[in-house]
Amino acid sequence: MRLGLGLWFAAALGAQNLEVRAHTLANGMRVLIHEDHDIPNVALYLFFKVGARNERPGTTGLSHFFEHMMFNGAKKYGPKQFDIQMEKNGGRNNGYTTSDVTVYTDFFPRTALDLMFDMEADRIRDLAFDPKIIESERGVVHSERRLSVDNNNMGALHEQVNAVAFTAHPYGNSVVGWPSDIEGWSLEDLKSHFRMGYAPNNCVLVVAGAVSEAEILALAKKYLEPIPRQEPPPPVRTREPEQRGERRLTIEKPAELPLLMVGYHVPEAAHADTPAIAVMNALLTQGRSSRLQSRLIERDQLALTVTGRSQPGFDPGLMVIIAQPRAGVDPARTEAALHEETGRLGAAEPGEDELRRARNQLIAAHYRGLKTIAGKANTIGGYEVFSGGYQKLAAYEAEIAAVTPAEIRRVAGKYLARRNRTVGTLLPEKKEAAR
Amino acid sequence: MRWLLGVLAAGVLSAQVKLPAFTRQTLSNGATVILMPRRELPLVTVNVTVRGGAESDPDGMGGLASVTAELLRRGAGNRSAARFAEDLDALGATFLSQVSQQATTVSLEFLEKDAEAALSLLGEALTTPQFPEDEVKKAIAQRADSVRGSKDNPMMSTGIYYRAFYYPQGHPYARPLNGDEASLAGIGRKDAAAYHARHYVGRNISVAVAGSFEVPKLMPLLAKALGGLPAGAAYAWRRAAGAPALTAPRLLLVDKPDATQTYFYIGQPGIDHNHPDRAALSIVNTVFGGRFTSILNDELRVNTGLTYGANSTVERDRLTGSIYIATFTRTATTAQAIDKALELLRKLASAGLNTEQLASAKAYIKGTYPTDRLETSDQLVNLVQELALFEQNRGEVDDLFSRLDAVTLEQANAAARRFYGSPNLVFVLVGNAAEIRPQVKKWAADVVEIPVSRPGFDAR
Repeated sequence: MRLGLGLWFAAALGAQNLEVRAHTLANGMRVLIHEDHDIPNVALYLFFKVGARNERPGTTGLSHFFEHMMFNGAKKYGPKQFDIQMEKNGGRNNGYTTSDVTVYTDFFPRTALDLMFDMEADRIRDLAFDPKIIESERGVVHSERRLSVDNNNMGALHEQVNAVAFTAHPYGNSVVGWPSDIEGWSLEDLKSHFRMGYAPNNCVLVVAGAVSEAEILALAKKYLEPIPRQEPPPPVRTREPEQRGERRLTIEKPAELPLLMVGYHVPEAAHADTPAIAVMNALLTQGRSSRLQSRLIERDQLALTVTGRSQPGFDPGLMVIIAQPRAGVDPARTEAALHEETGRLGAAEPGEDELRRARNQLIAAHYRGLKTIAGKANTIGGYEVFSGGYQKLAAYEAEIAAVTPAEIRRVAGKYLARRNRTVGTLLPEKKEAAR
Repeated sequence: MRWLLGVLAAGVLSAQVKLPAFTRQTLSNGATVILMPRRELPLVTVNVTVRGGAESDPDGMGGLASVTAELLRRGAGNRSAARFAEDLDALGATFLSQVSQQATTVSLEFLEKDAEAALSLLGEALTTPQFPEDEVKKAIAQRADSVRGSKDNPMMSTGIYYRAFYYPQGHPYARPLNGDEASLAGIGRKDAAAYHARHYVGRNISVAVAGSFEVPKLMPLLAKALGGLPAGAAYAWRRAAGAPALTAPRLLLVDKPDATQTYFYIGQPGIDHNHPDRAALSIVNTVFGGRFTSILNDELRVNTGLTYGANSTVERDRLTGSIYIATFTRTATTAQAIDKALELLRKLASAGLNTEQLASAKAYIKGTYPTDRLETSDQLVNLVQELALFEQNRGEVDDLFSRLDAVTLEQANAAARRFYGSPNLVFVLVGNAAEIRPQVKKWAADVVEIPVSRPGFDAR
């Protein structure tokens, strides 16, 4: 059955194996190219292997701040020019920062290729540090923090669950930065972070869209190869010690509804258990027929929503399950049902039908992620950076299809154990006052 | 090499993008079927558009179209809600419903090889929903909790407060698309069943399919799935209401005592979907608040660091909508940010754009259009359904670039003067009222204040 399943997906989708051309420039920068001529546009992604895990107390949030500063002017293209030039040539950009990486994303018509390479090279080599602009951008980042953490219950609880789950490893750092650090970092902090993280040999460039391999390689050699290599960030030595008992935290604040979040330590992305953990997560939280959705939302009506996520990382990280309890439901009841279900999965193997639903949803979602050139660039880069090479992408279906019921039981028993979990609850304050 | 590249590039830039070819057929019950086969991924996307949307919610029952759409999969044919979920998840398929001001959209995406099983699920959901009493109660209770929960996130709720305050009482767009606590409490099984019987009929639906399929194989499956719907009658649109008459500035302050920043909207009358000024307005709004380097974002974010982002939106619905600024700033800088936004509005209406801004906005719209609208099968079915819903032809897409090119600086500036210069603005602020209250009178004499804990979104 497992084999058959893998095969029909392979038959349906296998032809979609993304053709990727890989090169390494003389300065160590990786260049991955995927041609797709459906629309006359290009997605260009730069993955820098620097994130919140490379930060220390006092400078948390710096990687994310750089995601902003990289748009604020360099030597040839001064303040605002990156955006002005890009938009007047029909392009737009964005970026994102995680605990592990800082990623710059450019989307533009192929007519702007030369300009984009010129501007990217300019800011990687010669970023400017104007104190006035830094102060203004500090305000922008603080506003982003207020939006996504301080005035967002999900963001606020997630930040605290991370901070409690990690006692030693820098994955406990706030990615956007603790407020005092946002207010406090100095020009010198910025300069040294830039020197540390933005080495070409610490970067993977992915170009997907209406391009040819030859033209991208020529542009990369012309604009990016001359940038000198540097020392990459020092290795993160700290390993999170094994957790030996449940940890709990609460946040009390005015809110309409409570929120529950449970974090479980799981291994790094490249670990052999990663596919089984992904299937386990899908079996618990993906689709209305999944165990937690069908039990908590539909049958017992203890929760409004249930989601599960884990982000690929260089080091052992956290899988998180989030449940929003229904109004008037004691969050303790929602939590008890959640633990009962995770416990059940560790105690007995799931049925083959159920497992098939989880696998099929994951595989279909994987291919949905490849519908756009942006999705392709992001997926190719993510595999190259976290999973030991873009070639691993082709093995995704087979890996997911190979996960057995016994493996699900094993990883559930191991990682969803009580002693390995951190439980965070956000409680509406006004409810407390009314008691 | 560069020169050659340049020549190629110029060729691509001037090319008008086109909507891919599609065919249109009609089922025996009058349902329109639009087919757009394209070979890329082996996925198929089906989009069923039911005319009416929130506009067709009966008075006092805001959210009925949305609740009905949610209930389609919760018991259909012989399948219980749980069984439907299992069968859908087993295919790795997705089934989503969404309600806009003028339509309900049900979309299904599945693997090419699963067409028969997936379309049979869709057919049961659309033609034989059972509306079981317990599922109706559950869905409505969940919806009411979601409405409450949305108030924990002002980024979501400020827009709903804005529409409830901007549009006059009784205007269909004043009602929240998903209902509120009061309107949901009045909805029962009978209402959803009646809404379904009236609106989910052949002459009122349009089906668009894009992706990997063969027309001769797909058509019988579609006919089998949806042919069972009665022909019925097309929804009769409400008579077009003009823009609300705004005679003086008005302001709503929603008190959220724990907020550390103020979220605000500033609105004024705009256009309907097919308004002749739509191309000019899209250019003006791109320059003013439609992209990162826009006037609004440049001043409120880049120059002053007052916010993480500021933008301006032109609503494009069947009835005349509004144009609004939306942003947020820390509580202490509320007045500074609002005054700055007002100053930029005044300047736009009086000074207009320059030739460089006009050219840049045109290039930006053209450059981003393919990835926004033409890249994936779901984008394409949305686009062809939009053309059908608003009775436009494919020229809306195929001639877009030349219509943008034809907009002159004079035309753009006439649109800027006409649509961005209203003296009677509508303000909605969500934030810590104790801190903001003393300042709001300067923007409007007519001020209403409500606590965020008050049920619903209507301040009147």
